[in-house]
Amino acid sequence: MSETIEAISPAEQVTLGALFFGFLKVSLLGFGGGLVWARRIVVDQKRWLDDQEFAEILTLCQFMPGPNIVGITLCVGSRLRGPLGAVSAVAGFILLPWTVGLALGGLCLRYAHLAVLQNVLSGLSAAAAGLMIATGIRLLMPHRGRRTALLFAALAFAGMALTKLPLLIVLLGLAPLSITVTGIASARAP
Amino acid sequence: MNSPSASVALAAHLALLSSISFGGFPSVLPDVHNFVTANGWVTDREFANFFAVSQVMPGPNMILMMSFIGLKVGGIPGAMASAFATFGPPCLMYYTAHRLWDRFREMPWPQIMRRGLTPLTIGLVIAGGYVMARAADSGWPSALVTAAAVGLMLATRLNPLWILVTGGALGGLGLL
Repeated sequence: MSETIEAISPAEQVTLGALFFGFLKVSLLGFGGGLVWARRIVVDQKRWLDDQEFAEILTLCQFMPGPNIVGITLCVGSRLRGPLGAVSAVAGFILLPWTVGLALGGLCLRYAHLAVLQNVLSGLSAAAAGLMIATGIRLLMPHRGRRTALLFAALAFAGMALTKLPLLIVLLGLAPLSITVTGIASARAP
Repeated sequence: MNSPSASVALAAHLALLSSISFGGFPSVLPDVHNFVTANGWVTDREFANFFAVSQVMPGPNMILMMSFIGLKVGGIPGAMASAFATFGPPCLMYYTAHRLWDRFREMPWPQIMRRGLTPLTIGLVIAGGYVMARAADSGWPSALVTAAAVGLMLATRLNPLWILVTGGALGGLGLL
């Protein structure tokens, strides 16, 4: 590997195929934490982007709706090879894992009426639900000192989990309030 | 149930949700759950099963979970429509935003918007977990597994895969 050449013109070194297989790898390895693998492969292994560029893409994607990891995939592909790069990277991330997952999962679900399999699935989903709650709690920790943040997190939780309102209604109701409060707070801050 | 109009209605609803899924797809699970169970397309148990299977697959698991719902509602075409509805609209938004990013990244309002939305998305993710725990609920033993998973995830650096496997094993042994 000639790192000097890569450092001079990384964009010209990256083929669409490399993007496809690079993000296929992220997808397959990224069990439960795709972000870690995306950074490891894009920044450390392939040296497609440096840490600063990757962090910028991450910031952008966290601000947007949708699966963030797909957004990162798309932005890296687009950054390196334009629209075709974006398509190659996203296709690599989704196409094969989705096809295999749908086939295997579909097969598994076909036998979900079997008592043993149903029991396994119940255990799995109970544990997976716990992981999701824990992820949310972990995300909340840095905000535990901000009373308004806790209040809005609680309101969003109650709106979705307890009153069963549509998400659009909950967001339309709470987002303007939350953003206004944040805006006022940051205007007051020195 | 192989109704094209049901597939279209599902895909349209998923496309709307994916466009407002700040904080990722876990935050829209409660809405999807209400929508598909109210329409009678998917039972609580099936919804929990789709969730469980998608979580043990590598790759884009929320896209996969929505595809299982699509598969149930409208076969393979339904699965494909659901998958596209889940990642298509956000991809267009990501692409546009990436293009415009240089222009608006120095402005203060994206920061304020993001900081304002963050607590909401966190609350939504926790709501997603809560609704999934309710859908999977088969009494206090399964609630205990959920609570133990929360505790282990927060208190240890255990690979989440082992927590899932343990949950599945406990279920397989008929303890839940």
